Amino acid sequence: MLNFSRNKLVSIARKDEDTLLVHGILDDVIYGLEVDATVRISDMTFLSVNGKWNRYTTPECPKALPFLREATGFCINDKNITQKLQKTVGRKGCRHFATILIECCRSVKEAVRIIQWEAIKADHPNLTFEEFVNGEPREASYDSAEEKASPPHIEVREKTVRKDMPDARDSGGQDKTSGGFVIDLHTHTFPASPCSSVSEDDLITEAKRISLDGICLADHNYVWPVSRVEDLIQKHGFPVFRGNEVTTDQGHMLVFGLEKEIRSGGLVKIEELREAVEEADGFMIVAHPFRGFLTFGVGQLGLTVEKAMERPFFKYVDAIEVMNGKVTEKENGFASEVSAALGLPVTGGSDAHEVSEVGLYATRFPDSIKNENDLLNALKSGKGSPLAFRKEKTMV
Amino acid sequence: MTHMLTFSRNRCTGVEQVDDQTIRSYCRLQDTLTDAYVEITARLPDLDITGVKGEIQRGYRETPEPDEFLQKVIGVRIGPGMLEIIKGLLGDSPDYEELGFMVEECCHGVILSLTKGTLLRAPRNTEDRTEFFSAMVKENIRLYNRCAAFAPGSLLVEGITPPE
Repeated sequence: MLNFSRNKLVSIARKDEDTLLVHGILDDVIYGLEVDATVRISDMTFLSVNGKWNRYTTPECPKALPFLREATGFCINDKNITQKLQKTVGRKGCRHFATILIECCRSVKEAVRIIQWEAIKADHPNLTFEEFVNGEPREASYDSAEEKASPPHIEVREKTVRKDMPDARDSGGQDKTSGGFVIDLHTHTFPASPCSSVSEDDLITEAKRISLDGICLADHNYVWPVSRVEDLIQKHGFPVFRGNEVTTDQGHMLVFGLEKEIRSGGLVKIEELREAVEEADGFMIVAHPFRGFLTFGVGQLGLTVEKAMERPFFKYVDAIEVMNGKVTEKENGFASEVSAALGLPVTGGSDAHEVSEVGLYATRFPDSIKNENDLLNALKSGKGSPLAFRKEKTMV
Repeated sequence: MTHMLTFSRNRCTGVEQVDDQTIRSYCRLQDTLTDAYVEITARLPDLDITGVKGEIQRGYRETPEPDEFLQKVIGVRIGPGMLEIIKGLLGDSPDYEELGFMVEECCHGVILSLTKGTLLRAPRNTEDRTEFFSAMVKENIRLYNRCAAFAPGSLLVEGITPPE
């Protein structure tokens, strides 16, 4: 028996020479909704967007409707149109409205191709649609296509930061009640990570304010240049380390000591990344290994510790991130159980994308860490222990 | 000028549970220019894709061997981060872009079919329903401010402390 079905219907008519009328319907087992939009052909912008609910889940879903209008003025040819719709209509309103609008955008592009072909055909009656399309510039299809124009590759960058860093505790930072050296190993900055909304300066200022001993910039597929990090260390008088959250075919991996960068938008096979990390004598941690779904947990799918241990990526990593600020306590707890069963070292990091998230979780090392070599050695010693830093600090 | 349609599209996604361990999800696209079909099978509890097939019965792009092309997604786990991985594996060729999008639609279908199971437990009367969704946010704070229904000011998040 069919457990779920979704139908999306888009109809496009031409209102006048330069205007399209677009009607979209999304009807599935859970939701029913419709959108009506007008699009100016000459610049491919939305002139108006409206919608209505037919069926929804929560009593508050109707509040999503006003946010549809925020798509007015969006250009369908914008390479980031999908992300823009998801961020505005989806995040502020409802992602299912964003879904149907994305389908409308894809359909408008096709409709405009037909219109352009028909216009050219007036002078070239024998021109087929296929011939017309094949003569078009080969536009990039996915939103990130421009960034992905080159194949993913590993590129050599600068050398490690070896200079000893200032000790945060020497410059007003307070020692933790339980001692040790506490670093938030997993943070993101903008623009190095487009999903983040915090600058490196703000991130470091906050880390210092809440008395962390150090912070690690682990942006997505990006290695910070040594000179920039040294400048930050000098400017803030605070230890700043470098990591890299690399997207692999098996999920996100935090790597340390890898003087190479996976070009943005690329995807690397986990085996290849492991090889590169080994060559560099680096360290690799699987980030948020059981990040789950919004409305149901991995437990509901019947995932047991024994079964989870079989996930292929565990063969390639040195440690497991068992405290991550972007997943639920249950998911973190499950990661802890799996790491214990596997006997792998564990770490914690906030995965901060906002200032307020810095230090939610961190890793405590027994000894002071003065440079990136120290950090690598500390990670390899397996003596790091994750902690809910902000919570513990509040309780002290 | 008449209001005859310039373009029409119908995309249908369906999901069925084949057995205790297997979910099958398919996406059929029929529009003015294209008629295509993609199907995936995923295995519980990991939700990793174990099989995929695709065909384009009518289209204007050059897409030889769509079935072979799609095999790259085998092993991908359906869940957070999957779109980035699917895009990375399939690349950005405009010829195959629609097939990649259809794989994503199949994956979304699987997630929504599992979401349905949770939503079926929601009570019918408004007060209890509000409480049910409010408890859901407390259980998974990532839902907070995820959409208008869970944004500050909504009854569903009343009294819930936003993530710091």
